[in-house]
Amino acid sequence: MSTQTEAEHALAELIVESLNLEDVQAGDLDPEAPLFGGDLGLDSIDALEIALAVSKSYGFQLRSDNPDNKQIFASLRALSGHIEQRRAEA
Amino acid sequence: MNAHWRYRPEGGSYFAQWLIRTIALYCGRPVARAVLYPVTLYFFLRRRHERQASRAFLHSVLGGPISCAQIFRHMHSFAAVTLDRVYMLARGARGFELEVEGLETLHQTVEQGRGVILVGSHHGSFEALRMLSNRYDKATLRVVLNKQQTPAMTALLEALAPDIGARVIDGSQDPASVVLALGEAVRQGHMVALLADRGRPDESMLQVPFLGRPAAFPMGPWMLAATLRVPVVLCFGLYLGGNRYKLMFESFADPKGLSRQGRMKAVHGYVRDYASRLEKMARTYPYNWFNFYDFWHVPANCKVDADSSGHDLRDGAGVCG
Repeated sequence: MSTQTEAEHALAELIVESLNLEDVQAGDLDPEAPLFGGDLGLDSIDALEIALAVSKSYGFQLRSDNPDNKQIFASLRALSGHIEQRRAEA
Repeated sequence: MNAHWRYRPEGGSYFAQWLIRTIALYCGRPVARAVLYPVTLYFFLRRRHERQASRAFLHSVLGGPISCAQIFRHMHSFAAVTLDRVYMLARGARGFELEVEGLETLHQTVEQGRGVILVGSHHGSFEALRMLSNRYDKATLRVVLNKQQTPAMTALLEALAPDIGARVIDGSQDPASVVLALGEAVRQGHMVALLADRGRPDESMLQVPFLGRPAAFPMGPWMLAATLRVPVVLCFGLYLGGNRYKLMFESFADPKGLSRQGRMKAVHGYVRDYASRLEKMARTYPYNWFNFYDFWHVPANCKVDADSSGHDLRDGAGVCG
């Protein structure tokens, strides 16, 4: 498993907290593992929950009409990268 | 798009849709309804599985031996509703006698401005909702349709009701985009229509009692309502025979203030209560039941709801998929 960056760790904490994932430590999330359908057992409703938490914490919306959504929600690393990019643009 | 249908006879569903549409719109409803009898007879004779499903369902509601006439009536009712869908999409309520119950309930919920999830089923005609549009324009109706899995239905919608077609949320996109689109629709105060009696193969299901036996119902619509904390209104579009339909709206649930911890328990309760409500409707209007397959078939990985079976369940269980 590759190491989490600081931004990835912060996002992992947000995900674990907002999804109320018991038995999962933020630091244990493999940044490159699939978020959905993998070992974490997240489903599409969880994607909505994550999007709500991201908009609360980072102040912008993840939008449905983004053609890259599949890529963005692929892993912790991809999602974190997208968030950092959006924050840099803001 | 119209041109290639007739050059592609192998695209069975396109051709069938085109045929139904053409007969329906150019020959008029009386002619089309007369054609329904031989069509129903054809399906009655050819579709053994549907016939068996109809018999099993009618037996569980009506009891006793089920006659061929009853099964024929059941299939004919489905054919009539399928035909009427074309008229409803093309010209709304014109030509139909429509009775609406509970519109005030729907209105009060819409007025809260928090969006509404309208839950329907394959009992009766959910398309009857379409007839509401010229009576009720307070909120936009949004539907989810898998444009890849149901290209014929999508084409029908876009051809006959482009205003609805444009507001379809395409269910074939990646799952995150679909739920985000649903969330956005709700935030805009729209009415989002979802069917809650059939689940997709990959969807979480819960087994609850239905007509005396456990049946698996999808949890998705309720998880969505609970996550977004959107009020749920039930919608039944009942076919009463002839040209008569009845739309019923019933306030069902409001997860306002629901905590994340309480969510799974609440969702289980919603599924159970919904199954029980649907059962009552199925008993009252048995010939409106349009799930012509073994509805009680248990998906391999499905568990049973704790409260209704007594089985011990860990947190978040009772789920398949």
